[in-house]
Amino acid sequence: MVNRKLVKFLSLRYKILAFIFIVLAGGLVLLPKHEKQEGISPEKLLANTINPERYISTDALAEKMINQDPSLLLIDVRNESDYKKYTLTNAINIPLKNILDEESEPYLNQDAYDVILFSNDHFHADQAWILCTRLGYKNLHVLNGGINSWYNTIINPKMPTEDMAHTEFELYAFRKAASMYFGVAYPEKVKKATVIKPVTKPSITAAPKKVIVKKKKKKLPIEGGC
Amino acid sequence: MKELEKTKRLSIAAVLTILVILIALLSYKRPEHLYTVNTQDTLEKVVNNNYLITLEDLNQENHVLVDVRNSFDFNKGHLDNAINITSPEILEDDNSRIINKIKEENKTIVLYGNTPNETTLPYLLLSQLGYDNLKILTVKNSYNQNKLITENFVIENNATDIDAFIQESVKNKEAAMKKLKARAIPKVQPTPKKVIPVKKKKKMPIEGGC
Repeated sequence: MVNRKLVKFLSLRYKILAFIFIVLAGGLVLLPKHEKQEGISPEKLLANTINPERYISTDALAEKMINQDPSLLLIDVRNESDYKKYTLTNAINIPLKNILDEESEPYLNQDAYDVILFSNDHFHADQAWILCTRLGYKNLHVLNGGINSWYNTIINPKMPTEDMAHTEFELYAFRKAASMYFGVAYPEKVKKATVIKPVTKPSITAAPKKVIVKKKKKKLPIEGGC
Repeated sequence: MKELEKTKRLSIAAVLTILVILIALLSYKRPEHLYTVNTQDTLEKVVNNNYLITLEDLNQENHVLVDVRNSFDFNKGHLDNAINITSPEILEDDNSRIINKIKEENKTIVLYGNTPNETTLPYLLLSQLGYDNLKILTVKNSYNQNKLITENFVIENNATDIDAFIQESVKNKEAAMKKLKARAIPKVQPTPKKVIPVKKKKKMPIEGGC
């Protein structure tokens, strides 16, 4: 008896299995619509962004530029008119509104260069950085303080006052030298050079006086020889 | 009997598949935060500057001030009626709840920090998560004798014309050089004097030779 029941059940086995799978397939309709997430997760983006490692100081950048670091790629995210007025040496211009264009992607999404984004402050550069980081681009940095800070520290450094630490003076000397590298001329440097010239001239005029003294010495032994 | 064996295996396989699907469904945790705006749309929003407001635009009834500085700074001094949500904790459950509540009340979140630069992260993160009721207060906060001073701040201010500064410095240097040349000319003359004593030197050894 049991055997017959089993046979009857087994004759339906494929239908039962098919039914189960159809029910399961119907369940797929109930699944929420899949939202395609672009780039890294918000949590990861937050973690990356609160890390201040992306900022590079103007001093560090100046040193890299003077040493002509071949891995450096400067990107100016300001608009074109600002870019034409003044920009850092060898910087290329990608205005913020074009930062996600196809033409700019090869500059940003690569691992051959250390890209440094900058703007007048770092507000726009930071925005560009966050959007690019969400897309998973690596090797991006932001110039801390931007062009304004570049002017205040490198182009026109403030002279430290007497009571400041020795390191401040060293930093000032570096910044001044850097500013000269970037084209700033110092009139006081010219004056210093003129101070040196008059000093050398009197030393030359003083030399003949010594010679006269020597002449007398030489004469004496000659006279003795006679 | 062979047929029976086959169906047995088949049904075991089916049950296992169903089990795996069930486990997967149960263990699946929907991520708490999902982007609803893509980067391109966010960029467009960022480029037109209508998310920036100044102190004068601040309308207390509709605006909820959110201080993104750390709690130490917040406790030292903050704007009236501001709540503190520091940037690193912006995605935490409590804060999400507060932000959602503000959105349900149809109020606008106004973010501020020590400078507007500090609000970039929370602004961009929240706007990409789909919150469109966001503004940034363009102020600069500083302390003078432990008193909070809030003043309007111009974003991305093009403060100085660096090119002009460099040109002027070069001009100044050239002017200084010209002055120098004018002064330097009379001082060149003493060189002939040098030559005369040298000639005398040569004569003397000849005399000694006698």
